[in-house]
Amino acid sequence: MSEHDHPHEPITSDSKPSYYEIMETAVRELLIGKGLITANEIRHQIEVLDSRTPALGARVVAKAWSDPTFRERLLADGRAACEELGITFYDDTQLIVLENTETVHNLIVCTLCSCYPRPVLGLPPDWYKAKPYRARAVSEPRKVLAEFGTIIPDDVEIRVSDSTAVIRYLVLPRRPQGTEGWSEDELAAIVTRDAMIGVIPVTVAERAAS
Amino acid sequence: MTADFVSRLPNDIGGAEAGSIVQVDHVLEPWEKRCHALADVLDFKKIINTEEKRKGVEALGADLIGKLPYYERWIVTFANILFTKGLLTPTELAEKMAEVEARFAAEAG
Amino acid sequence: MTPFAVDGIQPALNEIPVFAVDDLVRVASRSPIGHYRVPTYLRGCLGKVVRVIEPAMIDNEEEGYGRNAGNRRHYYRVAFAMTELWPGYGGPANDALEIEIFETWLERV
Repeated sequence: MSEHDHPHEPITSDSKPSYYEIMETAVRELLIGKGLITANEIRHQIEVLDSRTPALGARVVAKAWSDPTFRERLLADGRAACEELGITFYDDTQLIVLENTETVHNLIVCTLCSCYPRPVLGLPPDWYKAKPYRARAVSEPRKVLAEFGTIIPDDVEIRVSDSTAVIRYLVLPRRPQGTEGWSEDELAAIVTRDAMIGVIPVTVAERAAS
Repeated sequence: MTADFVSRLPNDIGGAEAGSIVQVDHVLEPWEKRCHALADVLDFKKIINTEEKRKGVEALGADLIGKLPYYERWIVTFANILFTKGLLTPTELAEKMAEVEARFAAEAG
Repeated sequence: MTPFAVDGIQPALNEIPVFAVDDLVRVASRSPIGHYRVPTYLRGCLGKVVRVIEPAMIDNEEEGYGRNAGNRRHYYRVAFAMTELWPGYGGPANDALEIEIFETWLERV
């Protein structure tokens, strides 16, 4: 693996399709021509992917903060609780929701590839798929967290979850102080993707500043 | 130890030396998103399941994995696996790519 | 057990998890060729089962070769102390890592 982050060429409207884009189009059209897949299946799956964003995970977290019985169901069976909200698990993965507490801070990573809770968060950011995060999150998580500006006290356990199989993880961050009485919508608005990966906490700073 | 050459996969990097985290991201280009959708559909139909895709990416080797971006690795892997399964031939793909390239060029005027 | 369970039903061998929560287990220290899903950094390390993943599933190392059906066994979520995985670990002793491991990679301690 190289250390660089595969910089992408700037895209301009008149840039020629790359060799790989041509290959993607050719493979797809050949498979459609052979009747192995259909154009509609690809089109539909793009819509599925577009419909999955961190806003879904944020709704799950906000509901867990607001509804103790939902929180219990979510921690017992993450997938079943998300399915209550209509979130389907199109990739046939299971979901374990990892609750951050006063004594445990969770962090998720996939060292072998790029496993990620796509049904609830969408596609992962590039840094999650790149070598520095994958290599170091398992062996020096506190240094990795510090690079995200997150300092975890030594008396709080860091618990890293490395995805290798059909289980995906979602971090249930701690609800920040000063959010008492907030609606689920207000709560969901402060829950970020990175907080659900576990690299930063949820804060009210942005809202207070605005 | 030469055993490491064959028993350690290029993507098995947990604990490896690596630089600091750079919080990069990019909006997927349309072809990259189509490539992701293709991966999902191939898995749904078990034409290429997700684990075959992962194994196929590993088979590209450490050098190529390091040099090629993410979806470029995927589409090359799909082609290789489809050849192995006898679902596509290299000639079919080469001819189709030439056709697609010519079409794109004609569309661009 | 559901309240409707009938006595005397015998599950098949692969339906019965070999390990239970709180069992101490060691990850096999083998280094085979071929596709694997147990990162090298875990090999030979001592951990504790914290969850049995139900139901039994196909080994994803076999799925890598296109086997979409066949013998199923259990995955286990296993917890390891960071100090067990990384001898020079610089953080507090209670930092930990959890990961799912297929039954064939685990040995009873």
